[in-house]
Amino acid sequence: MEVHAYLPRSPWVRFRASRRAMLCLAVLGLELLAVFLLPPLLGLEPNVSDLEAGFWASPSPAHWLGTDGEGRDLLARLLCGGQVSLLIGLSAAAISTALGVPLGLLAGYRRGLWEFWIMRLADIVQSFPSIVLVLCLVALTGPSAGNIVLVLGLLGWTGIARLVYGNTLTVRDQEYIVAVRALGAGRGLILRRNVLPNVISPVWCSIPLRAGRAILSESSLSFLGVGIRTPQASWGSLIQAAADLTVLTGRPWAWLPPALCIVLTVFCLAGIGDGLRDALDTRSRRLPA
Amino acid sequence: MGRYIRRRLITAIPVFFGITLLVFLMVNLAPGTIVDLMGEGASSGADRAALEQALGLDRPLPVRYAGWLAGLLRGELGQSFFYDRPVSRLIAQRVGPSLLLTGSGVALAVVLALPLGILAAWKPRSLWERLASLLSLVSFGVPGFLLCLGGIALFSVTLGWLPTHGMYTFGTFTSLADLLRHLLLPAGVVCLSSLGELVKQTRAACLEALGQDYILTARAKGLSEGAVMVRHAFRGSLVPVLTTILSHIPHILGGSVVVEQIFGWPGMGSLLFSGISQRDYPVVMGVSVVTALTVLLTNLLLDLVYGLADPRVRYGKG
Amino acid sequence: MKKLTVLLLCLVLALPLAACAPSRDATAVVRYGLSNAWDTLMPYNSPSGSNYTRIVCDKLYDRLAYVHADGTLDPRNAAAWESADGGMAVLFFLDEGAAFHDGTPVTAQHWADTIALMTDPDCPALGRSVFNVLAGTDEAGAALPGEALGAEAVDTYTLKLTFKTPTTPEDFLLDRNREFYVLPTHLLEGTDPAEVLELPLWQAPVGSGPLTFVEEIPGSQLTLAANPNYQLGRPGFDLLVITVMDKSNLLPSLIAGDLDYYAFGGNLAADDRQTAEAGGITVLEGTVPNSFYELMLNNERISSSAVRRAIDLALDKQALCLHTAQGLGEPTATDLTPGTAYTSSLTWSRDVEGAMALLEEGGYDGRTYSLACTANRSGLAALMQQQLAQAGITTTIETVDSAALFSGMAEGTYDMAIASHTPGALPLWFTESRFSPGNNIFHVADLTPYTGLISQIKAASDSGARQALVDELQALLARERPFLPLWFGRTLHAQSPTVDNIDYPSSSFSNENVWEWTLQAG
Repeated sequence: MEVHAYLPRSPWVRFRASRRAMLCLAVLGLELLAVFLLPPLLGLEPNVSDLEAGFWASPSPAHWLGTDGEGRDLLARLLCGGQVSLLIGLSAAAISTALGVPLGLLAGYRRGLWEFWIMRLADIVQSFPSIVLVLCLVALTGPSAGNIVLVLGLLGWTGIARLVYGNTLTVRDQEYIVAVRALGAGRGLILRRNVLPNVISPVWCSIPLRAGRAILSESSLSFLGVGIRTPQASWGSLIQAAADLTVLTGRPWAWLPPALCIVLTVFCLAGIGDGLRDALDTRSRRLPA
Repeated sequence: MGRYIRRRLITAIPVFFGITLLVFLMVNLAPGTIVDLMGEGASSGADRAALEQALGLDRPLPVRYAGWLAGLLRGELGQSFFYDRPVSRLIAQRVGPSLLLTGSGVALAVVLALPLGILAAWKPRSLWERLASLLSLVSFGVPGFLLCLGGIALFSVTLGWLPTHGMYTFGTFTSLADLLRHLLLPAGVVCLSSLGELVKQTRAACLEALGQDYILTARAKGLSEGAVMVRHAFRGSLVPVLTTILSHIPHILGGSVVVEQIFGWPGMGSLLFSGISQRDYPVVMGVSVVTALTVLLTNLLLDLVYGLADPRVRYGKG
Repeated sequence: MKKLTVLLLCLVLALPLAACAPSRDATAVVRYGLSNAWDTLMPYNSPSGSNYTRIVCDKLYDRLAYVHADGTLDPRNAAAWESADGGMAVLFFLDEGAAFHDGTPVTAQHWADTIALMTDPDCPALGRSVFNVLAGTDEAGAALPGEALGAEAVDTYTLKLTFKTPTTPEDFLLDRNREFYVLPTHLLEGTDPAEVLELPLWQAPVGSGPLTFVEEIPGSQLTLAANPNYQLGRPGFDLLVITVMDKSNLLPSLIAGDLDYYAFGGNLAADDRQTAEAGGITVLEGTVPNSFYELMLNNERISSSAVRRAIDLALDKQALCLHTAQGLGEPTATDLTPGTAYTSSLTWSRDVEGAMALLEEGGYDGRTYSLACTANRSGLAALMQQQLAQAGITTTIETVDSAALFSGMAEGTYDMAIASHTPGALPLWFTESRFSPGNNIFHVADLTPYTGLISQIKAASDSGARQALVDELQALLARERPFLPLWFGRTLHAQSPTVDNIDYPSSSFSNENVWEWTLQAG
């Protein structure tokens, strides 16, 4: 079993020491660069039908991944779909965090009615299987990338809020907080300076996982017919082509690349999450990375 | 204890109303009603008005909510617009198949995840750990519908081993083997989709337990590694694993929407999906409210059990 | 480790389980796939009024005739029919061998009582408007007090239907046969019409159709048994199990041998032909149009007829049809179904420059129109968007579900929408319902020119005069272009590897000849 030295290193140094986490970060970084830079660099047009190449053309020098049922270049759609999927994942996770952290802090620190109502709200949202609410709300607001991000983000705060809330509860009555409070520090200041830094580390670890989950949820929505609208693409909506047996068995180039992209992304996000956990959490440093 | 129970019940009441209100508003603010579905069938204005009246859609929103809530408290979930029969009867027919599918899927996942997680924790960098991470990768990363479609293409169309849809070959129960053959593919997908999380949690909990002092003591006493793993590490990790399993219940119920829809499985998930696509509000409301209330009730019971078992919970939580 | 052993044992046990398929035993079961659910088994009370409900009720209840895809008619409950009262009425001579599933013979009185009950103003039947062609009913199909209802039993086996306007038996049957079912009124005697729809009977119906009810899981599964006494012959199987499943699973199930047939008519996208054939399925090519594609327009938002005609000229219907139906269809300038008795000399052509000229004439201000379509048509919409852009018309595509599409058009949310319909053999199959004040989905400011011509066409009994009026209506439509006819599509049928004698094309017309189906032995 690998035992790390108990040296007072900064989390970033520790994170860098994990080869797997760094590799994942690098791959994700490359992915982001690719999806945002390659389409303009290669002059790829995701929404233009190449009627000469025809529908469902096989991979060729002109279309590296072939064309889809509308004669559109699949590589362009893969990259632009990647923009949408990655943006959906990352922004949904960001919204969840931006909501969940303050709500969890408030509930845990102020307790009383704040705690009661915030946690009841979390109870309400968490009582539903997530896909049920997401499906209903996206169907209600109309399927678009923006709405999907909003719905996934707004519904995802509960897990983070609970995490923060639980940690805040243990932190708020610890002596140093009581001491700062006794010194007359304002509530906002205490929350920002003293409580937040002590409760935030598990949140960092869960953000990448949440992003991965949001990307997958979007793909389920695509299958159920309430994904993002055409002509926009996402990895989820591209994989949906596999719903047709002909495409599934005969044209793997149409759905395999986006599927691999999703798997790779979710894997990398999980790796980054694990790396963050090991880097931020002193207790688990005894575990193998 | 009585005070704790009372307090816990009181917190459940706003949640109950919150769930019902959320479901009601969500469903009733959606654009497009079943009346518009008749568009293809070319309906006249008189038809529309009659239909709206017959379905009660002409009444104001608060009146409809009150009526629905009152019915809910009596155990009535209203009349389905689409199927023209009580929603409670529709749901009653669907609960069994859903429980069978998700129940066996999750049970299978637990049976596979526990040994895998333990082995992965016990023997890092072994074949087991590789298998565990591969399964987690598939489970976390591959969209469920792709697993379903790929499973059908491979096991049914190409190999011809397993049936593609439904619960029984001939519509009714003929033999257990027949049911199991139909169950294998969809339950496998359900299993796979919750397997990753379970393996991960089991492994983490085991590792956590392995680091504890009592394990060191057990090792020092000269117990074999196997005995340490099974008797101590596994036992110590049981509670967090159990919590993970339970916290997955709502997720798993919801996750089966896609599986049930593709496999034509007569469960709650496919009922919900058809309700959404047919704008059948009472069905959508009924299914989501029943699922959410079941989760609420389960959580309530679990909390009470925790409270009984652990006095800290009783006094610690607001 | 013990657990692992147990696990491996379980897997080993599961393998033979997976390998042995259950034998068909003594019962011959036809497994029937459907991509959407029926809503009710009470044929006159269907909230959706969908073809899925019709195709299911078609099995349980009997209809007067069997309509072939090409518009020809075969006897069903009615063995013969003839026009009466100078074209105002039709006499149906019922098959004397027909009986309900409880053994009671089907008589003309059953038909007359069915219609009297369903048109009773107190009976809240949702599908009552199908009767509004009969004398003595209002627009919604409710019986008018004090007037004689146009449905009476002349004798035990002769039913007489009287209409508001002269109607030939063929016109009537092509238009309404799929919605006229005979109910077991002998089981409804003494029931208050207001409560008749709540009877438990409709959850386990007794009809006189070729199949009898066995069991139902609403929205998912329906088991029916062969009616051994069906007057046209006993179906060549014992049980028919209808299962609702995702449409992506229909063809795989047929290839895997887990389905014997799927509705409607085993329809197959042209793109899937090779896959089906590679899977051992014989593919038939449809001969009769079974779909009609139109571009609905909001005439209030696109108020200039010149702009509407410009949109028509800007579209390359041939390319659109090629894309969607892979050439299995014909572009059209009218809504008249090819191959039927009524024709039009109008033709279509693409003319981008002409379109631009018309846009100028119509004062198109460069505004962006919203184009709604369902998710499965998004490719078609994208192609359309591209073609319209070539003429300088900008559009945004909104992908919505079918309900939101129609409600959005009715409420004026969208400016255009792509829709498809099952065409009929009658000249007014499309226009009559679309140009009625109650359903002005195109938002046409003045409907009177249309409604006037439509009622004249309905009243014309001589086919020459009728054709002239039809031409006039089509000319008006071409001038005003309230909607754009795109093309009539034909389909491919994935032939059942196990069931013989299926009339595949007629399935799209909401009836199936199940009494002639025979399950192959073995």
